[in-house]
Amino acid sequence: MPFRFITRAAGKLNRRNLFLFLSILGPGIITANVDNDAGGITTYSLAGSRFGYGLLWMMLPTMAALVVVQEMCSRMGAVTGKGLSDLIRERFGAAVTFYVMIALYLTNLGNTVSEFAGIAASLEIFGVSRYVSVPLSALLVWLLIVKGSYKIVEKVFLGACLIYLAYPVAAYLAKPDWGEVLTASVVPSFKLDGSYLAMMIAVVGTTIAPWMQFYQQASVVEKGITKEQYKFARLDVMVGCALAIAVAFFIVVSCAAAIHQQGLSIETAADAAEALKPVAGPYASVLFAIGLFNASIFAACVLPLSTAYYICEGMGWELGVDKNFTQAPQFFWLFTTSIILSAVCIMIPGVPLLGIMYVSQVVNGAVLPAVLILMLLIINNRQLMGEFVNGPVFNTVAWVTVIVVIVLTVLMTVDAVSPGIISRLIGTP
Amino acid sequence: MSTSSAAYFASNFLGKTVIDKTGEPLGRLHDLAMTRGDGLPHISSLIVKKGKLLSNIPWAGVDLFNVFVIAVDLERAPAEPFDPAEQGNILVRRDILDKQIVDVEGARLVRVNDLKIEGCRDALCVTAVDTGVRGLARRLKQERVWSFVTSIFKRQLPHKEIGWQFVQPLDDKMTSLSLTVTRDKLGDMHPADLAEIIAQLPHGEAEKMFLSLNTETAGETLAEMEPEVGTRLLSSLEKEHASDILEEMAPDEAADVLADLPDDTAKELLGLMDAEDAEKVQELLEHEEDSAGGLMINEFLALPPSMSAEAALTRIRTKALEMEMIYYVYVLDEALKPLGVVSLREILGAKPMESLEQIMSQNLKTVNVDTSADDVLEIVEKYGLWAVPVLDEDGAMAGVVTADDVLTHSLRFALRWKRFRAKRRF
Repeated sequence: MPFRFITRAAGKLNRRNLFLFLSILGPGIITANVDNDAGGITTYSLAGSRFGYGLLWMMLPTMAALVVVQEMCSRMGAVTGKGLSDLIRERFGAAVTFYVMIALYLTNLGNTVSEFAGIAASLEIFGVSRYVSVPLSALLVWLLIVKGSYKIVEKVFLGACLIYLAYPVAAYLAKPDWGEVLTASVVPSFKLDGSYLAMMIAVVGTTIAPWMQFYQQASVVEKGITKEQYKFARLDVMVGCALAIAVAFFIVVSCAAAIHQQGLSIETAADAAEALKPVAGPYASVLFAIGLFNASIFAACVLPLSTAYYICEGMGWELGVDKNFTQAPQFFWLFTTSIILSAVCIMIPGVPLLGIMYVSQVVNGAVLPAVLILMLLIINNRQLMGEFVNGPVFNTVAWVTVIVVIVLTVLMTVDAVSPGIISRLIGTP
Repeated sequence: MSTSSAAYFASNFLGKTVIDKTGEPLGRLHDLAMTRGDGLPHISSLIVKKGKLLSNIPWAGVDLFNVFVIAVDLERAPAEPFDPAEQGNILVRRDILDKQIVDVEGARLVRVNDLKIEGCRDALCVTAVDTGVRGLARRLKQERVWSFVTSIFKRQLPHKEIGWQFVQPLDDKMTSLSLTVTRDKLGDMHPADLAEIIAQLPHGEAEKMFLSLNTETAGETLAEMEPEVGTRLLSSLEKEHASDILEEMAPDEAADVLADLPDDTAKELLGLMDAEDAEKVQELLEHEEDSAGGLMINEFLALPPSMSAEAALTRIRTKALEMEMIYYVYVLDEALKPLGVVSLREILGAKPMESLEQIMSQNLKTVNVDTSADDVLEIVEKYGLWAVPVLDEDGAMAGVVTADDVLTHSLRFALRWKRFRAKRRF
């Protein structure tokens, strides 16, 4: 039984173990929380308001997949002490790394654009024009990276994670029928309909994003977690994933109860916040907006910087925020261009914010299978991982995840390229 | 076998077809094995891959080896099957390409994009590693395209090659290769640079590299490390080895490292140390970290007032290598209370038979063990001292605080901020 470690870890609950666990806590939780970024919140809000409780059953299987994927990363980090792009470079050589890094950069560029879209959208709820909010936040993010310290940003964010409590509160204020919610979250309901399928795919695509694997592994390495303390890191991943999924769950519930029941149709997370007003009161909508802003701004700090790190690590270029433009040109240009490009992208008049977020999810999905397959090849390499290679059960779950993600991605990409093709194929009217 | 003296790169050859005397293809060149040469490592055999089978063809059987054709004579040196997990040889592709190595001159970690191979005597030697963008373009088989693109901007694709004698591979197998070029290249690096490199390495390799240093270098490196990195490294070592390293360190630095360890581990290590060294460290551990007592070194030159300048000079000579601070000689009475101080310059300039009493300056600036670091810094700055003597409760001299230690401590915030900013390694 592969999940015996949970009971085993819980069985040895004593003060020393608890203390060890608390000292290792962090990487998994932060990674999972950053994952609930602008694109994520938007997708969940749309899922709830369009299909009510119809997609809630997906939360548990998605969480299982997320735990398996993130756990593999934290295991690789703990055993080898190297980042994921390091391992890809050493195992697959310069060429593979180069193309994977290009893909990763484009993916994360799309994600960064959607974070700025989230900033613009959330502040527009408070009546701040995007032409003010976006350049200001872009400058703020850049200054934080160059002059400030990510460590402090991270600590602030850990505190700001409490803002995610806004979602359960908003869900409570929306007064859903909890019995119905419970039933819907364990009983799969399935509709063979193009837009329902596309939404399923978007939920998976936004929950498991490629950059998370790099980020998770780097956090474990940076914390200096070794294979001896590894079982705690494993627990950390699970706690983090559970929290992230719980937040997603409550977003779906609150939008389902408040918006779907009214029969409103919404297009963006900002619309969702507006639509919450009459049902859940003005506070719920303010909480919703604050939550979206918090998630977007933090992810906007993390994504450009971390992407620049992984790419320079894999390509062997100088890196580090303590360097400058002349010492580490590639590193600085990488994150500076992604911030500038993303901000400019949002400021083009009439740009469809939702479309951008949606496309960035598609690109995420397209890159994910490649990253997952490379990961599986590395983690099953006995020379590198020793006794920490995947067991048969883990491998099965992981490969199933990969195949499901690939299938979903293909469907999603097809649907993004030519909307409605899935429903035509299935033959729904 | 003829080799030209032109320079090639490993990526020019890898993947090329290898033919035998009759022109039959034997497979593709999968890897190159290297062995120690006199000075530089040279290519000792070719690893050829056909289908899934790997075979090893010794260099002796190679007739032609250039970027156009690789031909071997199997009668002269028959091929043997090769097991890819075999660890006796060092393989270019498997063990060096794409790996991180230490650039000893630039004092940093670099990634190997390519290897430079040149003809030397009647073999091929590995002369340099290519870590630049050009090497990367060559690996991607896009050197021409990239050169063209950069030439549009009137630029050249940057070359970056590091001579083999200036690199130190991290793998322990590789050290046997590099040791023939220079003995222990890492020992030539500044401990502060070593500390920075070790902090960037994965935990297993950091330990290996640290173990490969001699105890003296290891001690100096440990003193330069961020406390948490140093502590982690020290806890991973054998206790005996750890205590040997601590003995090599200046007592104040050893105390700093031990202060961050859990109490029982610190006690155990102190117990393993040489009693005299342990006692000095123990004394320092008792003081607050940001007081004069916590910053001081308790090894200083203390001489009686009646001693002659010449005798003092001889004493300084014998102690010079083990003392951190030899610029000041403190003149103490029987109760170890300071009477005055003589600088090395004054001793050198004095007549040989003059006694210290005659040349010392009696107006001595001192601080107490509990004086705060900021006050110590103020005295150092105000009187332009290299070191300030520290007195214990009875007024006896307990140690000295050197100017650089108090500076480091007081500048810590500024320095720390810079380091702290760069802390997160994504």
